[in-house]
Amino acid sequence: MTTIGKPSLSQTVSAALAETRLRLINISRYPGQMVLEVIIPIVFASMPMLLGRATAGDQAGANFAANTGTANYVAFLLIGSNVFTIVSGAFWHIAYWLRFEQETGTLEAIYLTPTSSVTLLSGVSLYSAIRSGGSAILAYLIGCLVFQVNPFEGNVLLAFAFILVGLVPLYGVAMLFGALVLKVKESNALVGLMQWVVSFLMGIFFPVTVLPPFVRAIALAFPPTWMTNGVRSALLGVGFFFGQWYLDMAVLWAFLFFAPLFGFWVFNRVETGIKRNEGVGQF
Amino acid sequence: MMQGQVAIEKLTKTYVVKQRKGLFKAEKKNVEALKGVSLEIRPGEVFGLLGPNGAGKTTLIKCLTTLLLPTSGRVWINGYELTKQDNAIRATVGCMLMGERGLYWKLTGRENLVFFGALYHLSPTERKKRADAIIAKLDLVEIADRSVETYSSGQKMKLAFAKALINDAPLLILDEPTNTLDVPSARELRAVVRELNTEGKTVIYTTHIMSEAETLCDHVAIVDRGEVLALGTVSELKTSLQRDAVIRIEGVISSKAAQAVQSLPGVSRAAITAVNGHTQLTVVAEGHQTLLPQLIQTLTAHNAVMQKITPEEVTLEDVFIARTGRTLADDTRVK
Repeated sequence: MTTIGKPSLSQTVSAALAETRLRLINISRYPGQMVLEVIIPIVFASMPMLLGRATAGDQAGANFAANTGTANYVAFLLIGSNVFTIVSGAFWHIAYWLRFEQETGTLEAIYLTPTSSVTLLSGVSLYSAIRSGGSAILAYLIGCLVFQVNPFEGNVLLAFAFILVGLVPLYGVAMLFGALVLKVKESNALVGLMQWVVSFLMGIFFPVTVLPPFVRAIALAFPPTWMTNGVRSALLGVGFFFGQWYLDMAVLWAFLFFAPLFGFWVFNRVETGIKRNEGVGQF
Repeated sequence: MMQGQVAIEKLTKTYVVKQRKGLFKAEKKNVEALKGVSLEIRPGEVFGLLGPNGAGKTTLIKCLTTLLLPTSGRVWINGYELTKQDNAIRATVGCMLMGERGLYWKLTGRENLVFFGALYHLSPTERKKRADAIIAKLDLVEIADRSVETYSSGQKMKLAFAKALINDAPLLILDEPTNTLDVPSARELRAVVRELNTEGKTVIYTTHIMSEAETLCDHVAIVDRGEVLALGTVSELKTSLQRDAVIRIEGVISSKAAQAVQSLPGVSRAAITAVNGHTQLTVVAEGHQTLLPQLIQTLTAHNAVMQKITPEEVTLEDVFIARTGRTLADDTRVK
């Protein structure tokens, strides 16, 4: 029989990994979708890239460097679109998980087990990080190959560190979003709206320093903005917000401790409220 | 605290529903789905929860399985108190709710079982072993490695039942498990439930099929409109109507005629159901000898066409009719 009482750490990790594995098995049965996920960020970045070339011609790099600190606008835009893939994936995968499972009835089935929703959310987050992180890296490499720029210039390890540290607070924010989906029982419109807001705030195609001060302040309260700028600064030297990499990294660490706890807390409260009324299965 | 494997004390559940008033308007309304339900289920018994659609069976089950928080009342399951020790309750209960909807259709049957085994904190070796054993027990070997989407409805229900066994819990809660099953498969499933019961598992079995409850359940609670109307063994419930007789009349009978019958002296209940394109009137009364001529006269006066009149033995359905004045086919959802 199953363990009664508080599960051990290894049992909790095992349950979270089972959730990750389940989702990976599920997506592996749709190989076409995985191919498209690699192509989309390249196409997404190509549009402003080609527009820049069309309007500025040979001067495109120099003009870009004057405002952003790097002439490598191809890598700048590819980094933006690929970090956005990860961010958008986080929102989409958490929202889709809740909504889809609510509709198919499996959400109630997993709520019948002694595995907590925090463990399940962790498993879904890990799946999302693997899926969108993998396709973002692949898309970045292919994009650099297609547009003939060096993908490995700058400090690659530091760029990875910014991504990895940034993922945790990102999923914390995504959990807040998940709570909203659970509450309003809607995901498509919410994700659609969120994608536009997020892409604007984190500066996919421009440095956030060009935003008006009030909007910039909002953008800086959002962990992915620090993640994107950290990767760009590490690879392309566009400049950290606080001048030094470790100061920007410290801000991301602060997000890392605060955002997931806040995300879990809000999610649990919403979940309890729903259980008090009609239950998680009603959609 | 009450004794028993499951003890329910004055459980109530009220929730708010939105009543639509056109395109954008909605009015909030309180629905009392459970009204002070008290029950006790002893270890090793098959306990039937009977009632029509909307009686409150599923709400009760959802409260017992921690999916819903009750509004008031106290519940102990396997010695753990609801809302205080929910994790322990979930770990010691095997559930089959919402049938085939609780499965991942893109995964194989075996992958589903192994996944749920992990969520019950079984070790990787244990979950594989347990999945293999259940697959063999329920004769799912041939389809276990096919994705669930290729299963027939009956096969999906069988897998959903298999999922309820993955944690080898001492208490099984089965919510209408034979829904969508054909007759032989339903019989097979009931045999497995009986077998599990003889192995020592306690079973809570909800159904609206009375014959199923009669053959399977040791104790039965008749639930309607959020209340327990009758409680006891099948024979106790039938005996409670011993002084009464049941007469079934098939033909074309209007509801006005049924109402007229209901008002006859000696008739405790009269209810109409549709059977094979005919109307069937079930009358529970004190002895049919004296009543029969009056009954025929009343129905004839109301233009009823009678094709068959049979005095019968009391069934659980009759007990239900006697208690509620309705048949199980009625939807008594709170509106």
